[in-house]
Amino acid sequence: MKLEFGRLRTSINALLKIALLLVFVFPFLWMISTSLQTFRETMAFPPTWIPASPQWGNFAEAMQAGPFPVYARNSLVITASVIVLQLAVMIPAAYAFAKYRFRGKSLLFGMVLLAFMIPGQVTFIPVYLMMADWGVIKTLLPQIVPFMSNAFGIFLLRQYFMQIPEEIIEAARLDNASELAIMSRIMTPMSMPALATVALFSFVSHWNDYFWPLVMTDSSAVRPLTIGISMLRETEGISNWHIIMAGNVVLVVPILLVYLICSKQIVKAFVYSGIK
Amino acid sequence: MVKRTISLAMTATLLAGLLAACSGNGGGSNAGNANAEGSSAPTASGSASGGGKTTVQFWHSVGGKNGEYLDALIKRFNASHDDIQVVGTFQGSYDETVTKLQQAVSAGTAPDVSMLERAYVELFADSDVLEDLTPYLEKSKMSADDFNAGLMGHSVFNDKLVSLPFNRSTPILHVNKTLLSEKGLSVPKTWEELKQTANAMVVKTNGEYSRYGLTMPYDTWYPIALISQADGKFFNDEHTSLGFIDNGIGDKVFQYLKDLQKTGALYYPPAQDSGNIVNQMFVEGKVAMMFQSTGTIGSLSGTVGFDYTTAFLPQDKKYASPTGGANVAMLAGSKHKDAAWEFLRYLMEDPDGGLQFILDSGYLPFTKKMAESQQMQDLWAKEPNRKVAYDQLQYAIDTNKDVAWPEIMHEFFSAIEAIMYDSKDIQSTLGTFKKETERILAE
Repeated sequence: MKLEFGRLRTSINALLKIALLLVFVFPFLWMISTSLQTFRETMAFPPTWIPASPQWGNFAEAMQAGPFPVYARNSLVITASVIVLQLAVMIPAAYAFAKYRFRGKSLLFGMVLLAFMIPGQVTFIPVYLMMADWGVIKTLLPQIVPFMSNAFGIFLLRQYFMQIPEEIIEAARLDNASELAIMSRIMTPMSMPALATVALFSFVSHWNDYFWPLVMTDSSAVRPLTIGISMLRETEGISNWHIIMAGNVVLVVPILLVYLICSKQIVKAFVYSGIK
Repeated sequence: MVKRTISLAMTATLLAGLLAACSGNGGGSNAGNANAEGSSAPTASGSASGGGKTTVQFWHSVGGKNGEYLDALIKRFNASHDDIQVVGTFQGSYDETVTKLQQAVSAGTAPDVSMLERAYVELFADSDVLEDLTPYLEKSKMSADDFNAGLMGHSVFNDKLVSLPFNRSTPILHVNKTLLSEKGLSVPKTWEELKQTANAMVVKTNGEYSRYGLTMPYDTWYPIALISQADGKFFNDEHTSLGFIDNGIGDKVFQYLKDLQKTGALYYPPAQDSGNIVNQMFVEGKVAMMFQSTGTIGSLSGTVGFDYTTAFLPQDKKYASPTGGANVAMLAGSKHKDAAWEFLRYLMEDPDGGLQFILDSGYLPFTKKMAESQQMQDLWAKEPNRKVAYDQLQYAIDTNKDVAWPEIMHEFFSAIEAIMYDSKDIQSTLGTFKKETERILAE
């Protein structure tokens, strides 16, 4: 009796998990299916699930609609630079906020939190004017420089650093380790899960960003993939959803790949902060 | 071990990223130079010495297939002009282009020529950032009379001609004639006929509507069309208030829509993506008639499996339809006005310019010459649905012109939502809308 109940529980558990999984996977499957259909199939009702013959040409057509190699390169450069710069700023800042005592610490941390709360829609005009003044609108800088620091990352990392026992740092200091060494050899390796999480969040939000690149760029030479894909949409009339979805697949695949690589670390980050 | 691999991987990514960042920034501006976009050298010396090309920046909002037709047009222009290089750049939707243009004008990075959704022209004309095109037209021996009068409603402000029509459209009635013929019905010409026909088309199975009579996207365009057909005006003549509330026309229009909606004769779609939803329903035969832009004729003709035809929007007191789409304008701050005008002239009167784009895209021909051209006549003979759209232009009227329109439009949307979705009382909703409008207009 007890055994049976246990088995029932496991199977219900599994079923619920599958159901939940479907909810999340469904839009991706829909996207992939549409990206392989013909225009007629996208318009058909009831909807086509499995295309009669997969239209791999859709991908070529989407990629030929604009200078996609340039867009892809820009997306890569922007996202990678942002993440590198953020880590370079974030780790020392979080370390200082977590482990140092200095005058004005809480005020400064308050300012970091404030920056965390101001959305880009408020700052984009002054930032654009400033960048235009510097004459860098035709470079990738307006999409990188404003994101050099990541307030959310500093906050998350500080919490994580605070959990690392003071004794470890003391021990290192006794061994004559410099502050830089403590940061790079002790704090950073011990907080890999948190760093991976922040880096991934940052990666996803900058890779997918549409608003900021749109308002900061005037020419296709400095535009990322998101804008290239939005150009596939019709302004008026019926959009070619199969082509748009092919573009979207190209946009989403790198995110999935990165997630597959980082997923273990991310789960860890949340588990750690749970036990404390 | 796992940790070690990951940290190694991370370091590698970081390094790669750093390298890419360094080389990438340089690369970005190099690419710019290669496309003659980033460099200031040719623009500075171009017009003076004649050694290089003058670069004309052109911002537009056309994506998808039409975007490709526009790119092809720009290529043809550049191939036929040794001294001018036009760089066309997509700037997002019509609204996004307006935002970008506003910030670019104040930052001094505005383009030479821009596409502007017609309702926003006044906003820019009012702040004096658009060039008066009259002298240029005269120089090229053109005049405002060369254009279709119905499409010139958003061109002249404060006695200056600041924009010319380009990719223009108008709402029209799209009909699934196969369904109508099954019941022996003809295409409706009046509101009364539309009501009867739409009701006759309704099919109910198991207590749910499986077919509706009429649909239209969630937009201010269609209520405005109905208001004009009932002989009302959106704004009163003094531009201090709305012109369709006190005379009861607003009540009449929305009562008409609600009556249709109640019996399933009208399917009013959800706000999000409404245009795509109604197109899809029409294609699937789940609705027999649709108010929708002329911009969809091309793709519908190629998609539907039934007898598809277009007709004028039905009349109440008269035929009337608003217009839509975008105009093109020259920025007053442009440093290459002659080159910019040469591009505009090409768009307006060169057979390889505007005419070819109109033939490709299905937008309305905007000059009289275009409409009379052999190519257009041939196309109309083949696709009479497009001719109907052009013929309806004789009844084109835009009564919602005001600098404050974008703001009032948002209030109008709220009123439409309250009435169409929440079935709020029509009279009191419109009363509130009128009060809000008066407040905005008084500012």
